[in-house]
Formats: sequence, C-alpha cells, structure tokens
Amino acid sequence: MSEQKVGVEEALKKPLPTPDGDSQPMWDGFKEGKLLLQHCGDCGHVQYYQQGICRNCQSPNLQHQKASGRGVIHSYSVVHRAPGPAFRDDVPYAVLLVELEEGPRMISRLVGQDFDSLDFDLPVRLETIKVSDELFLPYFALNECN
Amino acid sequence: MQNKRSIRGKVAIVGVGQSPSGRVPGRSPLDLTADATLKALADAGMDKSEIDGVLTGNAFASSFHRFSVALSEYLNIQPSFSNTLQVSGATAGAAVNIAAAAINGGLADTVLVACGDSLLTGMTPDMAIRAMTESRDQQYEMPFGIPVANTFAMTAQRHMKEYGTTSEQLAQVAVTFREHARRTPGAQKTDSITVEDVLNSKMVTTPYHKLDCSLISDGAVALILTSAEKAHEYTQEPIYILGGGEYYSHEHIFLMPELTQTGAVQAAKKAYEMAGVTAKDIDVAGIYDCFTGTVLMMLEDLGFCKKGESGPFVEAGEITYGGAIPTNTHGGMLSYAHPGIPAAWFHFAEVVRQLRNSCGERQVASAELGLVHTLGAGFSTQATTILGTGSTL
Ligand SMILES: [Zn+2]
Repeated sequence: MSEQKVGVEEALKKPLPTPDGDSQPMWDGFKEGKLLLQHCGDCGHVQYYQQGICRNCQSPNLQHQKASGRGVIHSYSVVHRAPGPAFRDDVPYAVLLVELEEGPRMISRLVGQDFDSLDFDLPVRLETIKVSDELFLPYFALNECN
Repeated sequence: MQNKRSIRGKVAIVGVGQSPSGRVPGRSPLDLTADATLKALADAGMDKSEIDGVLTGNAFASSFHRFSVALSEYLNIQPSFSNTLQVSGATAGAAVNIAAAAINGGLADTVLVACGDSLLTGMTPDMAIRAMTESRDQQYEMPFGIPVANTFAMTAQRHMKEYGTTSEQLAQVAVTFREHARRTPGAQKTDSITVEDVLNSKMVTTPYHKLDCSLISDGAVALILTSAEKAHEYTQEPIYILGGGEYYSHEHIFLMPELTQTGAVQAAKKAYEMAGVTAKDIDVAGIYDCFTGTVLMMLEDLGFCKKGESGPFVEAGEITYGGAIPTNTHGGMLSYAHPGIPAAWFHFAEVVRQLRNSCGERQVASAELGLVHTLGAGFSTQATTILGTGSTL
C-alpha cells in the first residue's frame, strides 16, 4: 500500500476523542447519559472543560456534578461544506455553541436537521449519541415545546 | 506606568520578497520560501551571509517540524538565532514582533522572517482543510465536525444578531478586496464580483458563502529585518517597527470571553501605546481576512470604527481608497492569496510597499503609518504591528 493511500484512508476517519487523565470521568459520564461538570469546592466556580484545577481560583478541590442537561443556543453555524471527507455524509449539520444552565459554554451539535427552527437563546436539552460501545457524544436537541 | 522597554524605531524592514503565488505546482514549501528569501535579499541589496537569525511558521505541505532550521540548511546559512513559531494566523505578526525584540535585545543583527506553503497544489483541498481543522481541540471540538471556519462563523452570526450586521455588509468586504486585487499584479482572483455574486455563491458554513471565505493558495513571502543603525546600509528606504502588541485570550471557542469582542482590542492597545499613535493616525492597514466577518470585527476592535458599526462603515467605502482606512490594498487572503500560515506575510509585504510609496496605481497617497493585524484559531491569537517611514520616528 502506498503512503499516499494510507493518508487518504486516514482522512476518511472521523477524528474521535482520546480521553486523557483530566477528561476520562467526563467521557465515562456520557456513556451513562450524564454531562459531568466540575464544581469548585472553594469558590463555587463551575467548569465544563475538565482540568486538574479550578480556572477561577486554581484550587484542586473539584467535584463532578451531573448537569441538568438544559441550556440555550448562544450561537450556531450550519455546516454545508464538510471539514474533510470524514464528515461528507453528515452535511448539512448544525454546530452549536450551547450555554449551559450552570453557566459554562460548550461546543456541540444539533440532533436532526430542523435548521429553520434554530435561533439564538433558544432552549435545548442534552442527548447523548452512541458512536460505539466506548464512545458517546453529547449532542443537543431543540425542546419539543419550542 | 507604561513599560518603558520598547522596540519603537529600533528595527526596520529593509527587504521584502515573494515567490510566485496562487497556483504554483511542482514547487515545495522550502523551494518557494527560498525563492522569496533570495528576492528579499536582492530587494535589500544584501548578501545572505548577513542573515544571522531566521524565524518562520510551519508549512502544512512540508514534513519538517523545524521549518526555520530546514530553511537555513536549504539556503546554506548557519544562523545563531532560529525558531519555528506556531500561533496560527497570528504567526506573521508574532514573528515580526519577536524578530524586532531579538534584534533590539542583541540576539541577532539581521533576521529573516519568512514563510511558505503549497496548500493548493501540494495537498488535496480536503487534506488542506483537514490540516486546518486539526488545529481545533481533538476532544472538545473536532468530534462535532467543527472546521476552523465554523468558529469564525459563530462569532459572525452573533455579531449579526447583536448589531444587525447583514450578509450584504459581509459581502461588501469581499467585493472591496476583489477590486483591490484587480489592481495587483500576481493576484489569484481578478474577476470583478458583486455583493449578489457573493450571496449567490455556495454556502460553506452559515453565514459564510464560498466568496466570504479566503482562497487556498501556494506561495511564500520573506521579510528581512535589521537594526535601525544598519538599516541605511541597504538599497531600500527602511520601514521601521514602531510598536508591537499581542494577546492570547483563550484556546477553545467555548472559552472565548465574548464572541463579538476579541483580544485584538488589547493587542492593538499595546501596539498603539508603544508607537505613540492611535487608530486615527494610521494611513493604511493590512488586516487578516480569513473571512469577511473577521475584517468587520477587527475594524471595530482595532479602533477604526465603533463597536457594532463596521457594517455601515464598510458599506460607506471606508476601507478602500478615499475612505478612512484603505485596507488590504493587495486584495488580501480573500482575493490575492492564502497559502495558510504565510498568508498574513503578504499583508506585511503590501503595507511595507505602501509605506515605501512603491505601489504604483494602487498607492495610498502619502502613506506614512501602517498597521498590520494578524490573528488565528477562532480569534485565540492576536498580533498587531505598527510600521512607519523614517518621517514618523
Ligand atoms: Zn475555584
């Protein structure tokens, strides 16, 4: 197999997350349908991006708590041109910047293709999507009552 | 109060060179960058033996991790100062700022600041885009299929929501820079376009159509910087570094403090203060134009217009000849060339040529003070450089 062919096959694979020491509990949580946020025991700061220390006060005293799964769309963009061949079958899809009820923001994706209903500050709820037995991704769905 | 240490007027750009750009098949990133370097040396009237420092960015179509070192070997020079910098699109500004600091601090006398890549013909378009997307976080962003374009798109969407900025106003940026490119020899795109053409081009990621997005190109640019004391030994009128400022506010788009105000505010403030000038004093600008909306937000954050008013500002013709701040007179990344990291080097080349008064029919009348602002990675990285003629010292 030529080297170039390996390169093309690589490009066809979706980039899948490899959990690290900071993030393993969060990825385990998604498998159980839970979004785990880190709450600082010293200053009360809540963070989504998993770190060994609080971003606000640098305390290592962090506890995981399950998020409500509720948030609003802070911004979004509907992708029509796939970022590489791996996402070609997915387009069009909406990437969301969700602001969680607990405060932090996160990048996610909209469940489904109801792009006409998308709007800023619209309520959404967490839905974990199974990619494999080992990997679930946190997507968000529009609330049915919207 | 203010930091008294400063690079103001201590270092000058004395040589500018660029390889052919646009579609340049069959030439490696190192070959293109060496080509640009030899032209910059010729422009300066300098021998390569005088270069004792080399700063570059990395090339996506090259396998070298230490591009600056590989380039030195390719040119057969042995510098005593070298680095391959990586702050995405802001690498150009950061490299110029660091070169000026290194010269001022005695680490080098004469620094080659160069970058080249062959994004268009050295790799397939899909591989080029994938290379770009790999600059996003592998756990928190990429699994959702977020191209780097998408991070800029989400800031633009929010700007439209908060300030009523329209797709037509975004499109006007592309139309203006295309008109500029039409006057620039070597520009990749020179067919005239209208706002309607932009709006009718294929949607890439909302609100950006194909013509709201920068090109994919091959090409290289080299700049040669030396101390103010030595600058007069060379052929060209020295163009001085008057101020530099950078800012790095976040890595992930979801940790960007505010989507509609960027670290360009802080980067520019530092550069203006060092130079002792304000946005109103600047005669010509080079603004990183990866997307049309990026330019709108930068016009606000760099202080050329008020927050939220960039749309009408651009529609009123303020970023072209006769306006408040002629910007990207070469056509920018939207129409001149976008070979990846080297793209913003072209902004430096153009602003230097404007300040040398050597731009012919696209010359901005009596330009003495220039600004180049480069940025990258979804507004994570920001670098401002203020340049001026000898009369501004
Ligand atoms: Zn804390």
